Amino acid sequence: MSYVYTVARLRGMENHILDTAFFSRLMDSASVDDALKALGETSYSQWISGAGNFDKAIDSEMLATCQELESFVPDKGLLDIFRLPYDFHNVKVLLKGLFKVRGGESEGRRYDLLSKLGTVDTEELTNAVETEEYSYLPYGLTDLIPQCWQLWDAAKNAQAVELLIDHQMFRAMLGVADGLGMPEITAWVKHRIDAENLRSAVRLSRMKYEASKALPFFHEGGTIPPDDMARLLNEPQETWGRLLSHTDIGAVLSALQDSGDIKASLSDVSKSLDDYLVRVLEGAKYSIDAPANVLLYLLTKEAETRNMRVALVCVAGGLDREFGRRLLSNGR
Amino acid sequence: MEYLGLSLALFGAALAAALAGIGSAIGIGIAGGAAAGVMTEDPNKFGSCLILQALPGTQGIYGLLIAFFVLNKLGLLGGAGAVALNWNQGLQILASCLPIAVVGWYSAIWQGKTSAASIMMIGKKPEAMGKAIILPAMVETYAVLALLTSILMLMGVQVG
Repeated sequence: MSYVYTVARLRGMENHILDTAFFSRLMDSASVDDALKALGETSYSQWISGAGNFDKAIDSEMLATCQELESFVPDKGLLDIFRLPYDFHNVKVLLKGLFKVRGGESEGRRYDLLSKLGTVDTEELTNAVETEEYSYLPYGLTDLIPQCWQLWDAAKNAQAVELLIDHQMFRAMLGVADGLGMPEITAWVKHRIDAENLRSAVRLSRMKYEASKALPFFHEGGTIPPDDMARLLNEPQETWGRLLSHTDIGAVLSALQDSGDIKASLSDVSKSLDDYLVRVLEGAKYSIDAPANVLLYLLTKEAETRNMRVALVCVAGGLDREFGRRLLSNGR
Repeated sequence: MEYLGLSLALFGAALAAALAGIGSAIGIGIAGGAAAGVMTEDPNKFGSCLILQALPGTQGIYGLLIAFFVLNKLGLLGGAGAVALNWNQGLQILASCLPIAVVGWYSAIWQGKTSAASIMMIGKKPEAMGKAIILPAMVETYAVLALLTSILMLMGVQVG
C-alpha cells in the first residue's frame, strides 16, 4: 500500500511538534504555573489538569499520537516496533512487583509505573501476569515470563531477569521488522541494538566491569557482535571511537571524542545515541513514500515528550537551567 | 493489407491518448494522495494542493491532442471519409505518436511524484508555493518537447 498519503499527513503533523527553542523558553518560566500557561496553545493543554499531573499528560499526548497514527498508517508493525518496548517495560514492572510480593513486601506492586503506550492493554497484561495465564501474549512473552520466574526462583537476581527480558525485546523487535519486509526498518532496529549495547558498554566501563563477565549484558542482532562490544571494556574509553570507526555508531563516539567530551556524563552519551537513532532515519525525510517516516515521526515526537519532561522537571524542581538545556534532545 | 496503413496510424493515435492518459492518471493519483494527507491536517491548503495535483494532468491532454491531430490527418473527423494510406505512411504516423505516448506516460508519473513532494513542502512551508510549482513544472518541459516532436513529425508525414 502506498505511503504517500501517510507521509504527507505526517509532514502536516510535524508542524505541531515543539522545537528545542520552545523548550529552552519554557525552562525560563518562573514557576510551573507559568510553564503550564505557556503550554496552553499546544496539544498538551488538553491533557494537563494540574501542576502535579504533567507526567500523565505527557504519556496521554504520546498515546493519542500513537492512536492517531494507527488510524492511517498502512502497516501496524511500524507502530508495534515503537510501542513494544513499553510492553516489555510493563512486564518488568509487573514481575519486579510480584518478586517483592513473594518476598514478603505486601506493597511491592507499582501499577503507577505501568505505561499505557504498550500494544497490550495494561489491565489485560496485569491480569495475565498475575494469574499466570500467558498463552495469548505476543512477542514471545508466553515463554519468556515462565523463564523469568524460573530464573528468579533459582538465583533471585532481578538484573539477570531484566537482561533476559531485554534480550527477548530486541529479538521481538527484529522479528516484527523482518515481518514488515522493509530493509531500512530492520537496519534501524539493528542500530537500536548497537546503541543499547554501546550504552551498556559505557555504563559497565564506568563501573570498571570485567570484560570477561560482561557478555550477558550485550544483545544479539546488532551490526556489532556482542563479543566485540564486550572486548571494548579491555580498552580505554578514549580509543573506542577509533576501534568502532568502521561502524556507523562509531561516529557518535568520535564526535564525543572530538568535542573532548569522551568522559561525558551518561545522560549526554544517551542523548547522543538517541539523536543518532533519529539521524539514521533522516534520509527518509527526502522520500515521498518511505515507511521509515512513520518511525522518524514517532521518534521525533518521543524526543519532544522527553524534552517536555526535562523542561517541566527543571522548572518544578528549580534545577539549573543550563544543565537542563544540555539534556534537551534535538527533536526538531 | 488494404487497411494496414490506417490501422497502424490509428494504433499510434490510440497509444498517444492511452499511454499519456494512463501516466497522467497515475501522476494525479500520487499527487492526490499527498494532497489528501496535507489537507487532513490543514484543509485551508486546498487551493495550493489542487494546482499542484493538476500539473501531471497535462500529459493526458497532450496525448489527446496528438490523437485528434492524427484523426484529422486521416480524415476521420468531419465525416469526409478516411484517406487512403499505405503501410509505410501508417508506420510513419505510428512513429510520430510514440514521443508523446512514451514520454507523456513516464513524465506524468514522475511529475506526480515531484508534485507530491512539492505538496508536502507547502504542507510545512506554505510560503514556498512559488518554488513548489517550479519543481514539477521542470518535468513538464520534457513532455512539451515530446509533444512538439510528435507534432513536427506528424506535419512531415505526407498522406492522401
